[in-house]
Amino acid sequence: MKVIDKIIISFTNHKDRTALCINNEKYSYGELSQVISNIRNLIRENVSVGDKHIGLITNDDIETYASIFAIWLEGKAYIPITPSTPVERNSFILNEVQSSFIVSSSNIDSYDETFRVLRTSEVQDAEIDLQPIKFSENNLAYILFTSGSTGTPKGVPITFKNLDSLFYALDADTRHKVFHTDRCLQMFELNFDFSLVTFLYPLLYGACIYTIPKDQIKYFYIYKLILEEKLTYLVMVPSVIHYLCSYFSEIHESGVRYCCFGAAPLDVDIVLEWKKCVPNAKLYNSYGPTEYTVTTTYYSFDNNQTPKTRNGVVALGKVLKDVVAIVTDEYQNILKPGQEGELCLAGSQLTSGYWRNTKKNKESFFTKTYNGKEHLFYKTGDLCIRDEEEDILFIGRKDFQVKIRGYRVELSEIEFYAKEKLSKKNVIGLAIINDLGNTEIALVIESEAFDVSELTKYLKNKLPDYMIPTQYKFMKEFPLNSNGKIDRKVIKSIF
Amino acid sequence: MKMDRKNIESKVREAFIKVLEHDDFTLTDETTAHDVDGWESITHMMIITEIEKSFNIKFKLISLMNMNNIGDLMQTIESEIL
Repeated sequence: MKVIDKIIISFTNHKDRTALCINNEKYSYGELSQVISNIRNLIRENVSVGDKHIGLITNDDIETYASIFAIWLEGKAYIPITPSTPVERNSFILNEVQSSFIVSSSNIDSYDETFRVLRTSEVQDAEIDLQPIKFSENNLAYILFTSGSTGTPKGVPITFKNLDSLFYALDADTRHKVFHTDRCLQMFELNFDFSLVTFLYPLLYGACIYTIPKDQIKYFYIYKLILEEKLTYLVMVPSVIHYLCSYFSEIHESGVRYCCFGAAPLDVDIVLEWKKCVPNAKLYNSYGPTEYTVTTTYYSFDNNQTPKTRNGVVALGKVLKDVVAIVTDEYQNILKPGQEGELCLAGSQLTSGYWRNTKKNKESFFTKTYNGKEHLFYKTGDLCIRDEEEDILFIGRKDFQVKIRGYRVELSEIEFYAKEKLSKKNVIGLAIINDLGNTEIALVIESEAFDVSELTKYLKNKLPDYMIPTQYKFMKEFPLNSNGKIDRKVIKSIF
Repeated sequence: MKMDRKNIESKVREAFIKVLEHDDFTLTDETTAHDVDGWESITHMMIITEIEKSFNIKFKLISLMNMNNIGDLMQTIESEIL
């Protein structure tokens, strides 16, 4: 069944159940359907059928969630833009996808000159209407932008067909099933694709999702929700348990039945400690690039067995149904089990390619015949091995792309803007692990020390907050390795 | 030894300065993370750890989770060092 049909059935069948809990306010599926219908009306009255790409300001409220469904029922795609990201970057993204409309629940005057802003918070009640218009499964459902190395973000377009394939694969693996009685954590920003699993999947089955207000310290608020709202179904980034780990002895939540991690390497030591805090939970690790529609593999923790690891990092596990995964050498030859190479993915969850970026598409995609069928493969940039039992283990990133709070960051993009501001000065961006075991961005500048406040201000105007360096260091001269290249390893050792 | 509020305040301020590496802020009971540059998720935990070290106390998770401003923080410290 298609996602869009599942939405209609779930929202109709669960009318009186709670769908959302946002900042202590609860909203039923009936109320959500009403807001969706109202916003749908607003879109119909203002946006022509041909305008397919709608910018969406990602606030934490019912209107923002309802807007996604309203946009979809009209056969259109949402392009999430966060209110905290500089207007310049957001405008660039919207112009890239030729979007002239922004749907927003808050006042955003700064966009008024270039875009038509549709305010969703003051709309009249319309008749409830969840019937989608007729549209092709090849229409886009969303376009997400990730950090790019040339200073411009890359767009990843995902179709309704991609989404249908994801939920088909998830449904086929009953271990991840959500029940209408579940209370599920939704800790992600809506410009992060993991949110599709944390907000949409529970809503397809009549469960309730709990969001994190933007002004809260996330990891404490998550614990508060588990404790006070008795959450049963958790999907989190590993950093949450890194922050909470010194307080594990105070946590004993037997009501949690499912707990899945993803979006960053999961350290085995800490997750085994966490297991004692949620004794009745089935634990999973998951993996998937944005280009492959959210999730690709799951690793299941067996209660009695030591989890599979590599360098202390938990295995990524086995691929979902119908995922075509190969591990290759640099010439795209398929390697034997146990050999280290780049993980490449094909199948119906795969994006058709980066948005209008021929150069990047040539670098990242290739066609190859596999099991008698020609496939388009995506090079994930992740170095992995696949063992004899078909479990995939993560070794490291092929390039310098790192993850900060779950977001993918090309360090070279930060370097690009820092250099732009510091004309002629050499800079190196580094991902460093701080005392709490979390990744932070540091910027090392080849110069005598100076006040970096002007530089930080400049970066804040150019980049989203998770890309702003939190540490600065100065070196009079960068060390070079034998090839004459700047030696990042030596520089890293000063931290 | 009983510590007065002024003393506590100045030690808390020191912890903030050490972690945030600037002193461009004033701390009153109503101050929240929103009012202080650099006080966010990552640095919050570092500040908490620093305060725990400096007062030689260990906060309870339950009080950290309900800590919304400097006033709450001060009160928790006071109750811990009594």
